[in-house]
Amino acid sequence: MSRTKSRNILGWIGTYALWISMTLITLLPIYWLFVVSARTRVELFGRPTLLQTSFYIDNYLKPLSTPAFQRYLTNSLIVATSNALLVAVLAVLATYALSRWKLGGSDSIFFWLITNRMAPAAAFILPLYLLFTRAFRLGDVTLYDTRIGLILLYCLFNLPFAIWLMKGMMDGIPIELDEAAFVDGASTWTVLTRIIVPLAGPGIAVTVILSWVFAWNEYLFAASLTSVQARTITTGLAEFVTVTGTNWGEMAAVSFISLLPALIFLAFVQRYIVMGLTFGAVKE
Amino acid sequence: MFRWNRVLGFVIVLSMLLTACAAPAAPAAPAAPAAEEAAAEEAAPAEAESWWAEAGAPYAGVTIRGISESTPPSRYSAEVLGQMFTEATGINVEFEVTSWDEMYNKPIRDMEANTGIYDFVYIEQDHIYSYLSRDFLTDISALLAEHPELQSPDFDFGKFTSFIDNFKQDGGIYGVPMEAFIKPYLYRADLFADPDIQAAFQEQYGYELAPATNHDQYRDIAEFFTAYGEENDLELWGTTVQGHTGHPSATYELVETILPTFGVYNWGINLDTWKACVENGGEMNSDKAKEGFAFWLDMLQYAPPEATSSTWDEVAATFAAGRAAQGWVYGENAAWIATDADRSVVIGNVGVANPPVAEGVIADAESGAGYIGYYDGGAFGIPYSSKNKEAALLWVQFIGQESVQADWAAAGARIVMESTFDDPLIVEIDQKVSGYYTLMREAGPLYRGAAPLPFHNTLRGNIDTFIWQALAGEIDAATALDGACVAAEETMLQLGYGE
Amino acid sequence: MRSNRMGWGLLAPTLIILGIMGLLPFFYVLVVGFFDWNVVSATGKPIWTGANNFRRLVFDPNFLGAMSRTLLFTVTVVVSELVLGFVLAQALVKEFPGKSFFRTIHALPLMVAPIAVGATWRLMTVPGFGIAPYYLDRWFGIDYNIGRYAEHAFATTILMDVWHWTPFVTLTMLAGLSALPKEPMEQALVDGANRWQVLRHLTLPMMMPVIITTTFIRLMDALRVVDEVYLLTGGGPGDSTRFIGIHIWRVVMTWTDYGYGSAVSLLVYYFTLVLCWLLFIALTQIGRQQE
Repeated sequence: MSRTKSRNILGWIGTYALWISMTLITLLPIYWLFVVSARTRVELFGRPTLLQTSFYIDNYLKPLSTPAFQRYLTNSLIVATSNALLVAVLAVLATYALSRWKLGGSDSIFFWLITNRMAPAAAFILPLYLLFTRAFRLGDVTLYDTRIGLILLYCLFNLPFAIWLMKGMMDGIPIELDEAAFVDGASTWTVLTRIIVPLAGPGIAVTVILSWVFAWNEYLFAASLTSVQARTITTGLAEFVTVTGTNWGEMAAVSFISLLPALIFLAFVQRYIVMGLTFGAVKE
Repeated sequence: MFRWNRVLGFVIVLSMLLTACAAPAAPAAPAAPAAEEAAAEEAAPAEAESWWAEAGAPYAGVTIRGISESTPPSRYSAEVLGQMFTEATGINVEFEVTSWDEMYNKPIRDMEANTGIYDFVYIEQDHIYSYLSRDFLTDISALLAEHPELQSPDFDFGKFTSFIDNFKQDGGIYGVPMEAFIKPYLYRADLFADPDIQAAFQEQYGYELAPATNHDQYRDIAEFFTAYGEENDLELWGTTVQGHTGHPSATYELVETILPTFGVYNWGINLDTWKACVENGGEMNSDKAKEGFAFWLDMLQYAPPEATSSTWDEVAATFAAGRAAQGWVYGENAAWIATDADRSVVIGNVGVANPPVAEGVIADAESGAGYIGYYDGGAFGIPYSSKNKEAALLWVQFIGQESVQADWAAAGARIVMESTFDDPLIVEIDQKVSGYYTLMREAGPLYRGAAPLPFHNTLRGNIDTFIWQALAGEIDAATALDGACVAAEETMLQLGYGE
Repeated sequence: MRSNRMGWGLLAPTLIILGIMGLLPFFYVLVVGFFDWNVVSATGKPIWTGANNFRRLVFDPNFLGAMSRTLLFTVTVVVSELVLGFVLAQALVKEFPGKSFFRTIHALPLMVAPIAVGATWRLMTVPGFGIAPYYLDRWFGIDYNIGRYAEHAFATTILMDVWHWTPFVTLTMLAGLSALPKEPMEQALVDGANRWQVLRHLTLPMMMPVIITTTFIRLMDALRVVDEVYLLTGGGPGDSTRFIGIHIWRVVMTWTDYGYGSAVSLLVYYFTLVLCWLLFIALTQIGRQQE
């Protein structure tokens, strides 16, 4: 009896040792980001120290009080949120279709949808640019430098991910449920909203969260396809790197600020991540 | 089960957070317009004001879009001059300031595709030849001749320094200079003037400590201060090296700052035959070039450890942090290093001089056959694809007025007109920056911009790797340059030059 | 039963958006890949060259170097992240006080934008004002300099990626583990199997779908890594961290060589596809053998 007990205690110590060290490793870079954001430029280039006693608030106030950065933040929030919601809706519809109907070539379609995430982005900038400035044109209105353009474009890497995530989940919902509803005379819409969506709720939540994070963090497309109006916060970060000195302090401050919404998001809905990310493992 | 009210609650909190973020913005705003008003009053007498209003009337309400790098001079033109221009003419200016990479990528994409997004673009001196070779730019002088009613009485190409020559071709002028700097030699005046240090240096090397005029002296000084820093447990080294092993700035320092002082000009490329290797009439792998590169690599041992991670801005930061006794630093940094206490610990202690050179280089520079360093800068030009050329024409003249130059120079350390040097404001600053502006005015003609290569970026991109590998110690200077010149020739051939 | 038209209708919005944003640009790149097109060439116009770009690519040491480097990087990070993530997820399955706190902290790096990750790690590792070189030198006497030593830079990119993406693996694995039925494992333990046997013969096979999906997503993303590494090292020292994404970026943006850049992209795209396909077959085979 006492042997199991001591083994238990060892297990506890092991668990906590593991997690405390993991936490330290995880937090170190983020802590350093914070330290940099609290330092003046002169302090930064002194001897590196881990501890920070003063706080240089200007690094935060300056970017935050610039109208441009408020715009970047708003754009990022709108683009990421709209994109995540759009992706979730489209993914529900698409995976429901792929899971319930025997459509010709649906396996190939599924595979093709996923391959959209594999493309190396740089070479696709030029065609996308032409698409945004030339192909979709109503008088002077184009997709270039608009939030709607980014929202649609981010589907390119988020939809494959979302569809993959939700496919297993859809397959896991017993088909008997919707068949019973159909027998009772329900429409496809009713089945979707009343049965599928509630059952797939956690999965949808995960899709929304991770899509939101990917969209929030995207850089290259936003840098190339927006100018002034629709520029996002990640693109704004690059503005701090200039020939006459990178403003590391302000850059770190903005990075830190852009981390906060994501962090709050995460803290709120983390349980659903765990509930939702099952990838069809339940199906077994 | 899944609770949607949780998500709803989250959205509400998030939007509240956003509002909170935006709130502190309001009080800070009024400061900027006040400064602008003051500047505007000083800059534009009533008569001139009415001219701008009249000339701008047909285009009032039009929005012109432009792009530039996010540097202090560009930010000043975007925030201050843009406002003034809008007030004077009724033409709106939408100004995109962005990173160095994008400042090049985006306009070229716009002009290549003939989209017409930008009505004016920042043209860095070294990129103009690429744009010109593809007829991407509007001839501003011709456009002015076409529209005499748009010719501002306050604008005259003749008032600019010789820097404007970089933007001329076949009698046409394609850019209005907005910033220009030289890349001088900076040294720590306080250390160089310290009697103890002077005595120790004299004893060790047998001559007086003074700003280096040739490479041997430069090496001695670098060696001396590195040892001095070590002995006294100071964070001090003998020199800066702009040697980031994965950034183009390293190649630029080599071909535009170091090699010219060894008598290798135009990157060692023969501009008549488009060849780079010695056996084909180029100079990129000549003995002089290899000597110069080897000298620069040798300086790494006297440079602080961040040298191989330093681009242009980190070099300036290193010097401002007092970590280097001397170095080659871009001139746009000289002013803030010498005056800005928020960013620099060496204010008042910065000396400025011409870079050290090999024998014969000064003579070359005076005769026009060569140059002693890099004359950097850029202009605003109007893309051929612009849809608001006339409005943009007014804008480039507006920023090219004599009256706006001095304040702009004070904000961004850039000078593009002769008369600006005499402005009381600049004369005053000049004393604080140890005569950087005087040096720029007097020695300016000895410096020059990048070679007229229409494929500048592509070529540099193809030789970068050799320079970086040498800086990382993977190959030696000779091997690197032998490889670089072959790569350069291959690139030029591929692009259709030098067949 | 139900009409196929309905199914296609549900699928249509997805197909339209991905068709426009994905397929159209793909065809454009496909066509440009057969042209010699550099904006700053003497003519500046696209010229048909047939398969020349692809021929050039096979013998291009820059491309081949970047490709093998990327493979080494990808294999290292994906394997480390999978193993580490799986172990951490195992440790998170059982209840203990403070679990959700640790889990939230652990997931933090996921929320940092890649460009900010690169900047943060640069701030930590740049000699002069980063803490890493300073303390490594002071405590262990190690001359750590990512601007100078290729191995240091390469190892740092790997560490950075593992730091950034392990939480993703942990979360997915944790989700999978929590969804597994408990009874078979308990039964096996009662029957005298040891923990290793349970893991090997019960947990792993049941986790196969999750492992496959996670591996794929990480594989795809690791193969096209750009932002973090570009900010950290710029691909240096020399070309030691110039992964294929950065190489393509340089060809397309710096060299403005649209034709060749498109050809490289196509090949990388194709390569990724084949790799994923092979992996899929291999993993499902293993899964079947274990059952």
